[in-house]
Amino acid sequence: MSTTVDARGLSCPQPVLMTMDEMKKVGKGEITIMVDTVTSRENVSRAAESRGWQVREVQEEGEGFRLTIEKG
Amino acid sequence: MILNIRNWFKGKEKKEVGMASKWDRGILVFENTSEVIQAENTLKSQGWTIRVMGPPPEIRTGCDLVIEFPLIEGLNILRTLEAAGASPLEVVPVKSPLLQPVDLFQTKDYGDFLMVRAANMKLTIDKENLCIVNISGGGCPDVPYLAGEMVGKTLTEAPNPRDIGHTLCGYALHLAYEEVLRRCSQ
Repeated sequence: MSTTVDARGLSCPQPVLMTMDEMKKVGKGEITIMVDTVTSRENVSRAAESRGWQVREVQEEGEGFRLTIEKG
Repeated sequence: MILNIRNWFKGKEKKEVGMASKWDRGILVFENTSEVIQAENTLKSQGWTIRVMGPPPEIRTGCDLVIEFPLIEGLNILRTLEAAGASPLEVVPVKSPLLQPVDLFQTKDYGDFLMVRAANMKLTIDKENLCIVNISGGGCPDVPYLAGEMVGKTLTEAPNPRDIGHTLCGYALHLAYEEVLRRCSQ
């Protein structure tokens, strides 16, 4: 079961905080996060990894990025 | 420059007797941020109570940071700075609202998270465990490194950005870090 966080159009730290909220909520599994800046992509990846999540995939999508993070 | 500033103080000493309450703070204006950092280090190491702030709108010289100081200690502070080779460009008494230095910090509460912004840098912590969850802003080359070293650590575990940063962003992040520490210790 994958959930999605759409943080496009939001400035830091909001994409990170939305991702953190989702990580807290689901505990483990897979989360897809959509962001539209390189800075947000890096910040979300860093925050996820610091909480023990793995960044499984980063895809460019339109003018943004789709990140997939997971925790077993 | 320092002599002119001293003369300014001497001139004011006679004229402004009885106005201590209106003239209790002054700001030191410096040419660049490095000088502000040097002056701050010098003054704090000698026990002066000062604050790094944003310049008031009326001040159009110097850099984006000023130092607020107790005006009554002006001469001693200027001597200290002169001895350290860190004399200011200008000394301005805070005597009108337009000369009020601007608070460098902006705080935003995101529920579980608290963000403190200092100048161009933002530091966000998880209020539950005081863990740093995000560092952003700046655009200086050491910001990714600073974030890598600090994100995921608690405020007490994380290195002080002043010790590991090399740019104005590192310095601004240090100010944000100190402000978060101050707020969390209240």
